Amino acid sequence: MTRSEELDLTETSAGRVSGQAVSAPRPKGRGSIGLLYLAPYIVGLVVFTAIPFFASLYLSFTDYDLMSAPRWTGLENYVELFTSDRTFRRSLYVTLLYVFITVPLKLAFALFIAYILNYRLRFINFFRTAFYVPSILGGSIAIAVLWRYIFATNGLVNMGLGAVGIDPVNWFGDPVNALFTITLLRCWQFGSAMVIFLAALQSIDKSLYEAAAIDGASKWTSFVHITLPLLTPVIFFNLIMQMVQAFQEFNGPYIITGGGPLKSTYLLPLYIYDEAFRRFDMGYASAIAWVLFVIIMVLTLIAFWSSKKWVFYAGDKRS
Amino acid sequence: MKALMTSAALAALMASGAQAADLRMSWWGGDSRHVMTQEALRVCGEKHGHTIKAEFTGFDGYLEKLTTQMAGGTEADIVQVNWPWMPLFSRNGTGFADIREFSDQIDLSQWTEEQLASGEMAGILNGLPVSTSGRVFFFNTTTFEEAGVPLPTTWEELFEASAQLKEKLGQDYFAFNGVKETAQLLVSLQVTQMTGKDLVDPETNRVAWTVDELAEGLAWYGRMVEEGVLQGHEQEAGQGNVNLFEKPDWASGKIAGSYEWDSTWSKFADPMIDDQVLVPAKMLVRQDAVTEGVYRKPSMLFAISKNSANPEAAAEIINCMLNEPEGIDALGDSRGIPASAVAEARLAEAGAFDPKMKEAHDILMAAEGPVVSPFNEHPTLRGAFLDTMEEYGYGMLDEEEAAEIIIDEANRVLKGFDS
Repeated sequence: MTRSEELDLTETSAGRVSGQAVSAPRPKGRGSIGLLYLAPYIVGLVVFTAIPFFASLYLSFTDYDLMSAPRWTGLENYVELFTSDRTFRRSLYVTLLYVFITVPLKLAFALFIAYILNYRLRFINFFRTAFYVPSILGGSIAIAVLWRYIFATNGLVNMGLGAVGIDPVNWFGDPVNALFTITLLRCWQFGSAMVIFLAALQSIDKSLYEAAAIDGASKWTSFVHITLPLLTPVIFFNLIMQMVQAFQEFNGPYIITGGGPLKSTYLLPLYIYDEAFRRFDMGYASAIAWVLFVIIMVLTLIAFWSSKKWVFYAGDKRS
Repeated sequence: MKALMTSAALAALMASGAQAADLRMSWWGGDSRHVMTQEALRVCGEKHGHTIKAEFTGFDGYLEKLTTQMAGGTEADIVQVNWPWMPLFSRNGTGFADIREFSDQIDLSQWTEEQLASGEMAGILNGLPVSTSGRVFFFNTTTFEEAGVPLPTTWEELFEASAQLKEKLGQDYFAFNGVKETAQLLVSLQVTQMTGKDLVDPETNRVAWTVDELAEGLAWYGRMVEEGVLQGHEQEAGQGNVNLFEKPDWASGKIAGSYEWDSTWSKFADPMIDDQVLVPAKMLVRQDAVTEGVYRKPSMLFAISKNSANPEAAAEIINCMLNEPEGIDALGDSRGIPASAVAEARLAEAGAFDPKMKEAHDILMAAEGPVVSPFNEHPTLRGAFLDTMEEYGYGMLDEEEAAEIIIDEANRVLKGFDS
């Protein structure tokens, strides 16, 4: 460091102390040091996110098999997707169904469990940990394999049903049951949403419940008129996060059913993977990925737009 | 004097072949193959004065990795390639180096012309067959003996045996397995035995079968499901996305046969419990068969990267692993029975092969059938075949409709390869 730089720094420190930082001269070299600190993130963002993001947009308008240069085909991939691709239509329908079933079910379940775990029970910390564990394990391949064995024709669930005299169910062989089974795996991983709900529940002022109790409100009335409104920001946050994650689901159907039967669990991420890495049609895979991106974006925007009507923040004057 | 000695040393080095080079080799496989291949690379590297970096993974993900490398021109100098991938990587024969250019380094006389032809794309030798593989029949003799039923030798005998297994051992016993790719290849086998033709006509590069012929093959498969010879799609899907050799019903003998790659013998024999015995069996044939219709192909190939800076050195290493004693001994049967004549003879003499695997391989090599096109395993074509068969299996299509869709889809894929 040169003497003049030392002087600059001293002056800056003095400026801060005296509250005159704004008028102090800008220290030389500060900007580049800041950029240096930011560089790993910026490089990662540009190389691993921004470039692939825009490259995939370009590739979605091309015919590209990785071996030869991309060939510009305009809207051909998109036209094929929406006019003649039966698999895409099926996969899109299944994906939307999966998301619209999974997200509300998972949020409701997470809130229910969080509500119970908010009570002061004996061993409550143990239960909180135990209920969170599936979320740590849930995304793993091992749990997907375990799920496969539990719901197999001769698996644990059917053994249990048999013990109470119920005929075994073909969980994976029937298209409706197969999607339900995959959905259930996702819902079982409710821990992260539950923890956020639990934190929000604990931050609600207890005096509100006391006041409501004095006015004769039942538990249910308190829940509907106090708890739920105060939780709406957290519900909104969880809704967005869970929706985005659900649209990206891959491991469960890939391991458990392979997308079958009859493509009933063939979610769009599986279709993208197959097109890209089994059929080497990178252009087509990119087009599907962009359709998926647009769907997620539109639904997120709708959620944000609608949030003005149902999300209540602290200090909100609406009644 | 010093200059003379330097020149002499250089001349000696050049006469010995390629100069010392740093190479890379990539392959997929299991643990034993990884260990044996690394040992082969070590001994061959020492012998020829090269160093070879090993790049290996399991099968899953290898194709994706190799594809990315090929796209970027960063593939290893020596690449293990699955035979059906050749049209993907080297449609016109320029995806890999021409191995015939290195006939000084590699003794090509150890392969038959037919074997070498299977490694050619557009007449250019792109890959050297490491071994030959194909589908053969495996039967669980313990299950058949328990039911007092002899092993079948024809399809009709299989139907009869199945009925007896169910009657004597229970309705949950199946004489055979046929799902996913195996189901596809069973239908193909039927039609090939019936017509004498492979799925793809090499002359026209279009489907060689008529809709009626394929429909008959599908109907025959439908009959197998209907009569309980094998599990149908719905029943099979009920067990989830799981391999046959991982299924308890296979290990316990309730599924008593299948049609699998000869090289996967151990994978299917090892899980057997309670001292059950699995044996390879000769091809089952139709009464009106015009051929046995064996599905035989190079199981994998060694190719040299067209971007390699040291292709001669890579060729020396390949020759060492496949044709020279040190390499043959180290590589052993890690890739099945070798295609190279000298390697097969040397390993057979040393008793290196599992006798049952050798028996399966001998059955495969003795059977006859038309030349199999790599397009049989093209991912899009195969995907269309399997998806349509599934719809047929769930009763959404009849045989005629399914056959028509499969042939249309297959021809659409094949048309994309017209020059």
